[in-house]
Amino acid sequence: MGDDNSYDIRTILTQMREEYWQALAEEESEAKEMLECLVFTLGGKRYAFETHYASEVIRVPKLVRVPAVQSLIRGIFNLRGEITAAIDIRPMLGLPQPEIGATGRILVVRGENFATGILAEAAHGVQGLSFENFEPIAAGSGIKAQFLRGHFNVEDGKVILIDMETLLADPELLAGEA
Amino acid sequence: MANRYLEIFCREAEEHLASLQSGLLVLEKNPARTDLLHELLRNAHTLKGSARMVGLADISAITHTMEEQLKGMERGERTVDAQAIDLLLRGADAVALITSALMRGTTPELDVERFVAEYERGELGQHLSAEPKEAQPETLADTVRADVKTLDHLVNLVGELIINKKRLEAKLERLKEIGYALPDPHAAELASFRRDLEEDVLYLDYLIQELHGKAMGLRMLPLRTISDGLERLVRDLAQQLGREVQFQIVGQAIEMDRVLLEGLKPILIHLLTNALSHGIEAPEVRTAAGKQRRGTVLLSARHQGNSVLVEVRDDGRGMNPTSIKAAAVARGVLDQREADAISDEEALYLTFRPGFSTAEIVTDISGRGVGMDVVKKNIERVKGSVTLSSEPGSFTQVTLQLPLTLSVLDALIVACSGETFAIPTTYLQEIVKVRAIEIDTMGSGEVIKVRGATTPLYSLSGMLGLPEHRTAGDAPLSAVVLKHCDQRIACIVEAHLGYSEVVVKGLGKQFRNVRFLFGATILGDGNPALILNVPDLFESGRGVQRAPLSAEEMQAAQRRLKVLVVDDSITTRTMEQSILASQGYAVTTAVSGEDALEKSTAEQFDLVISDVEMPGINGFELTRALRESEQYRETPVIIVSSLSRDEDKRQALQSGAQAYIVKGAFDQGLLLETVQMLIG
Repeated sequence: MGDDNSYDIRTILTQMREEYWQALAEEESEAKEMLECLVFTLGGKRYAFETHYASEVIRVPKLVRVPAVQSLIRGIFNLRGEITAAIDIRPMLGLPQPEIGATGRILVVRGENFATGILAEAAHGVQGLSFENFEPIAAGSGIKAQFLRGHFNVEDGKVILIDMETLLADPELLAGEA
Repeated sequence: MANRYLEIFCREAEEHLASLQSGLLVLEKNPARTDLLHELLRNAHTLKGSARMVGLADISAITHTMEEQLKGMERGERTVDAQAIDLLLRGADAVALITSALMRGTTPELDVERFVAEYERGELGQHLSAEPKEAQPETLADTVRADVKTLDHLVNLVGELIINKKRLEAKLERLKEIGYALPDPHAAELASFRRDLEEDVLYLDYLIQELHGKAMGLRMLPLRTISDGLERLVRDLAQQLGREVQFQIVGQAIEMDRVLLEGLKPILIHLLTNALSHGIEAPEVRTAAGKQRRGTVLLSARHQGNSVLVEVRDDGRGMNPTSIKAAAVARGVLDQREADAISDEEALYLTFRPGFSTAEIVTDISGRGVGMDVVKKNIERVKGSVTLSSEPGSFTQVTLQLPLTLSVLDALIVACSGETFAIPTTYLQEIVKVRAIEIDTMGSGEVIKVRGATTPLYSLSGMLGLPEHRTAGDAPLSAVVLKHCDQRIACIVEAHLGYSEVVVKGLGKQFRNVRFLFGATILGDGNPALILNVPDLFESGRGVQRAPLSAEEMQAAQRRLKVLVVDDSITTRTMEQSILASQGYAVTTAVSGEDALEKSTAEQFDLVISDVEMPGINGFELTRALRESEQYRETPVIIVSSLSRDEDKRQALQSGAQAYIVKGAFDQGLLLETVQMLIG
C-alpha cells in the first residue's frame, strides 16, 4: 500500500463504471422488445416470470414443517438468517405435483409484503423472451388462469408467463388464512 | 400497529382537516352560520374515533378538545368569535403537523405533549410553525440519531453472531471426538490446537456478549416514556368516574426493550382503567368503610433477575372470589361443580377467561367494556406472566413479570414428530417421565398426576396437528409440564434436547396469522427450529381436540358468515374489515346508515357492526330500523363507537344492539370474541 506500484483504484472504478453504462446502453438499444425472465419447470411444463421479482435461486435446503398451516406452505428454511417459507404454487396453477428431486430449486421472490421461496422442479436460468412470440391468455380460460398472463412460443415449445404480482398478492399465500 | 392503517388514517385525516379548515374559515367570516357547526363537529368526532383506533393518543386528545369546543358553540355556551376559531384552526394545524410527520416517518416539529396540555386548557400558547427545538449543545456532540430499523438490524446481526458462535462450539465438540480417534502423537497435537481454539472461541463469546448487551441497550427505553400519558389517563378517568385518586409511579427509570414497552402500554391502560372503575370506591363509600376518602393507585417497576416486575396496586374494594365464581357460573364460563373445586386464589384468574368479561360488556349496561381477557392476550404477546392477589375490601394487586427483551430467550429444545421445537422456559414448570399405567382417563381426555395435581395430558404432535410418533409399549414417555396463568397441562414429546438461549426471529408477514408459533430460531446446525407460542396450546387444550382439524378442514366445515360493517371513517372500516376477514368472515362495508339499510335489504347478513355518529341516519337509528324490519329482527348488532358514556351504552342497548364496544378500548381480540360469541 502506498508504494508506486499500487494501482489507482479511482481510475479503475471510473473505467468500470463507464464500461457498465456502455453495456447497459447497448443492451437497451437492441433488446427493446425482450422480457428478461427466470425460466423454470413446474408440473413438467416450462414457466417464467420477470427477473425483477426474483432475488435468488437456491438448492432446496432442509425444510422445517410448520404446524396448522395450509398444505401449500411446505416448510420454512433459513435464508442467511431470514426465516423464509417454501411454498408449492403448483396446486394454485392446477398443476400436478411430481416429487421435487435433485434438480429441484427454490426461487426466492420478493413481493410487496414479504419474500417467499417458490419450489420448482428445476430452474433453467435467465432468458430474454421476445414479445414478438407472445400470446396473451385468452379470456375465459378458467379460474387457474388468473395467475397467468400468456405464453411465449419458443423454438422447442412454449414458456408460460406467470403474473407474479397477482400471485404474490393472493391471500392463499398467507399462513393460516387459507 | 400496521403501517397500512396509519397510512389510511393519514389520508382520511387529510380530508377531514381540509373540510375543517375551509368550514372554519367560512364560519370566521360569517359567525352566524352555526348550521356549519354540525358538519365540523362530525369531522372532529370522526377524526377522534379513527385516531383512537390506530392508537394516536395525541391526535385523539386534540380532536377531543376541538369537539368539546364545537359542542359548546353548538349549544350556544361558547361564542363563535375570532379567538375561538383561531383556537380550532390551531388544533387542525397541529393534527396536520403530526400526520404529515407520521407520513414522512419523522417527528413533528412541535412539542406535542406540551401542545396537547396547553390546548386542553384552551391556550393558544405554542406557535406551531417552525419552532426548531434547541438541542442542547453538549448532548448533540455525544449522540447521533439512529433509525429504528437500523437498530433492529444491528440486533439481528448480533443474533447471527451468537448463532455462529454456537456453530463454532458445536464444531469444537466434534474436534474433541476426532481427537479421541486419532493415534497418539497426532492426538496430542490436535488436543493442544483444540485448547487454543477453545480459548479463542471463549474470548469471542465474551466479545459477543458485550456487543449484545450494548446493542440491546440501544433499544432500551425507560418506563417514563409511557408513564406520562398514564398520569393523564388516571386523572381523566378519576374525574369522569367521580373518584378521588392519588396516583404514584415508582421506578420510572427502569428500562425495557422498546418493543416490549410498546406492548406494555395497552396492558397498563387496561389495568389502570380497571383499578379506577372496578377497584377504587366512590369517596363516600370509602369514608363509610373507614378508609381515606382518597384512594391510592400505585404503579411500580423493578428489576428481578433477568426480568422486570411491573405492579399495579390499588387500595380499593378488592376482588371477591365468591362473587367471581358466582358470576363465572352465571355466564357459563364453568359449571357449579368446577367452581366448587377451585381455590379462592384460582378463582381470581377466572376473570381472565374470555367469556367472563365479554359477557359483561354485552349484558351489563354499566360495564366498561374493558376485560381482563384483553390484558391476558397482551401479556401473552409480550411473553410475560401475570399474578393476581387481592383481599376483599382492602386491595387488588396485579403483578406482571416481563422479560427485558424479546429478541433472546431461554428455551427448552424438544423433538416432536421429527421436528425440533423450542419452548420458552417462562411457561415451563418441569419435565416428567410418564408410564402408561400412570395415565388415567377423565371425561374424554387423559390425565396424569403431577405433584399430586391432576393435569390434562396431550400429545404435542396431536395438538399441533402433526403426524403422531407415539409408540405403544411400556417405555416411559417424555412429557413437559407447561403452566400459564393458573393452568397446567402436560404434553408428550419425543425427546428433550436440552436448554439453550435462543435468538428469536420473526416469521415475517407471511406468517402473521399463524397459530401455535411465536417465532423461529436458528440452531447450531444452521437449520431453523420453531418457537412455540404456549398460550395457543392452552387454547387448543381447552377444546380437548386430540387431533385438531387442519386450517382447510376447519374452513370447509364452516359456512362463511356474512358481516356488514357500517362506519363513515375509512380507517375504522378497513381495520374492522381486515380483522374480520382474517378470521374467515365475509365482510361488506357501508359508508353510512342509508348505505347500510340499502345493502341489508339486498342481502341477508348474519351480523351488523355499526358506528354511532355518522352523517344522516346514526347508528342507533340504524339499529332501530333494522329491528323493525322482518328480515333483521333477530340479527345481532354490535355498536363500536368512541362515545363512552354509560348513557350512550344504555341508548345502544335500548335501540336493540347486543353489544357495545368503545373505540378507545378497542382491541381486535375483543371485537372478534364478541362477534364469535354472537354468531360463532
